[in-house]
This record gives sequence, structure tokens and C-alpha cells, in this order.
Amino acid sequence: MHKETRVATGVPGLDAMLNGGFLPRTANLVEGAPGTGKSTLGMQYIYEGARHDEPGIILTFEEFPEQYYHDAEAFGWDFRELERQNRLKIIMSSPEVTKADLEHVGGIIQNLVSEMGAQRILVDSVTHFESLRQDPMELRKLMYGYLNALKRQDLTIVLTRESAHLFGEGLESHLDASIQFLADTYIMLRYVEIESMVQRAIVVLKMRGSAHDHAIRQYEIGAHGLNVLRPFEGQEGLLSGAPKRMKDSFIKAFVRR
Amino acid sequence: MRREDLTARMAKDMDPKLFDFLTTYVDSFVKWDLLRFFHENPHTMDTAENIARYAGRAVEDVQDELQNLARHGLLEERRVDQMRVYILRSDPVLRTRLQQFIEATQDREFRRKVIYHMVRR
Repeated sequence: MHKETRVATGVPGLDAMLNGGFLPRTANLVEGAPGTGKSTLGMQYIYEGARHDEPGIILTFEEFPEQYYHDAEAFGWDFRELERQNRLKIIMSSPEVTKADLEHVGGIIQNLVSEMGAQRILVDSVTHFESLRQDPMELRKLMYGYLNALKRQDLTIVLTRESAHLFGEGLESHLDASIQFLADTYIMLRYVEIESMVQRAIVVLKMRGSAHDHAIRQYEIGAHGLNVLRPFEGQEGLLSGAPKRMKDSFIKAFVRR
Repeated sequence: MRREDLTARMAKDMDPKLFDFLTTYVDSFVKWDLLRFFHENPHTMDTAENIARYAGRAVEDVQDELQNLARHGLLEERRVDQMRVYILRSDPVLRTRLQQFIEATQDREFRRKVIYHMVRR
């Protein structure tokens, strides 16, 4: 049987959740509250590609490249050296400029992708697109065109998106529905409170065209980036941010086997 | 000291390539800021308005200086839709000069010379 090519994220445990990694030329959304590790996951994805001959681009809106060099260094990833080797480029720009650039043949990004043979891109973050259109339908069209322009370059995309609420679900912005629908994969990072301790949870809510793990798993941000651990057990309502312990009888019957 | 005397002295004291870079590109504090900004963020591509915001300067100050740097060949000015976008030229010689200039500004004496050069213009 033909084995499908996958784009590994390099995050231990996450690739298994994704049945081997992202599908090529797809848009993969990572959503979470501040500090949950969205950008770290994105950098880990770019680093994994850069060291396996799959050059990558980080497209940042408002975050200075210096911050990425610094953060990456803390995990032992030398982004400056990767830039020197032409395996990584960190572009600082704005949604309106990159959108217009991508729409034109021979744009700056298109040339850069060709020149370095880029296969991966991190867009950090799509939250900034909200300022471009107030109308949800217009925003959706804009995002649809933007993602297609990146896919046209044969790039496998990781998009980060900030959720304003630290725990559970908050009010949805008009970008939420559009981007969750347009993305091929939707990964959610959440803080959860269990017995007065804050823990981190990761779940793959959607993966178009592929089977995936549906468990809500714990993860940690360690010395070498994100590391996905075992699923939470005996808890329900995890995504609300304040789970409850399942009744013992239910656990006996359905969970601990 | 007359301006010509100072310039002659600086030219004598300084690496000729650095002196050339200084006299070609650096004649204001805003330009100095922009050079440092593009050195630290070499793959920036954005409008004057956004670059001004990143640099923490007024757009009207930054606009002219960006155009000036583009005229002198350090930056490239491109039309993207209706926007004017600025990027650092990829010429490796130019980028090396920029790096040498920024590294030289770590030295207090060199900074003093740059400031003197700017205020005397």
C-alpha cells in the first residue's frame, strides 16, 4: 500500500497524534492562550525541517526576529546559524503587505521560497489579520486567498492564533469561525486547573483527510521544546478549563481496562 | 575646528570603507536607528508607517529617511499594490559594510565621531 508522505513536526508525541505528521501543502492552525507555547511549537516545526533539509520561513507580524533568535537559543536551536546556511529566514512584515506581495507573480516571498527551496512556513500570528476586515465574510475570503497563495508555493503552513481567554472558552471573534473552518488541522492548546494546579492540555480537534488521536493529552515545555505526554485520565470537561473528576463507577466501567 | 578639517581628520583615523559608509548613509539619528533596525531585522519588508511603528519613531520622520536610503542604494523600494515597501538590499558587500558599521558603533570613540559628523552637517 502506498505510504503517505507526512511532514513531521518534531514535537515528541505530537506526530503520533497526527498519524505521522501534517499532510503536505496543508494549513495547520495552533490556537492557545498566551504562554501555552504556540510560537514554540511553530519554531520547533521550523527547526525540525531546517535540520532535515526542508528549509523554512518564519513570517512574523510585530514580534521582532531578535525575540525568535533568543527564544530558540534557550531550547538549543541556533536560528542565526540556520539563517547563515540559508535554511531559515525570519521575515518581519505586516498582513497587508504580505497579502499583496503573495498575490503578485514574482513577489518577494515567492522569490525567497524559490531561492532557498523553502517547504515550511510559520505564520505568527493570524490574529493580526482581524484588523484588515471587519466583515466576517470578507475576512474569510481574505484568509482563503492568503492560505491558497502559500499552498501554491508548495509550503506546509503552521498558523498560530491567540485566544484571549486563559481557561475554557471565551467570546469568539469574527476570525475564529473562518480560520477554524479553513485550516486543515486544528490543534488546541489549553490551560486546565486540576486540584489547584495549572496543567497544559493539547488536543487535535480536526485533521482533514487523515485519522488522528482524539485524546486530550498533557504536555510540557521543557529544555528542548514541547513534549506531549499521556492523556488525562479520570477527568471530564477538560476543555472548559476546570474539569471534574469522573465518577468512580464510570471510570471502572469505561476508562480503566 | 572647521568642517573640512574635522572630515579630513576622521578620514585619516577611520577605516576608509567605514568612513565611506558613514558619509554616504548616516547623516541623522533617525537614519542611524533605521540602519540598526535593518541590521537586526534584515528580512523586514514593510511600509514606512509600519517600520516607523517598529522603530518607535514618527512616520513623517521615517518616510523621508527611508526614501533617502533607497536613493543611495542601501534599501530597495518596491511598489506592492498601492503600498511602497522597503527592504534591505541583499548585496553581500553592502550587508557586510552595514554589519561592520553597527559593530564599530559599539565603541564609544567611534560613536562620538558619528555624532560629531551628524551634528556638523
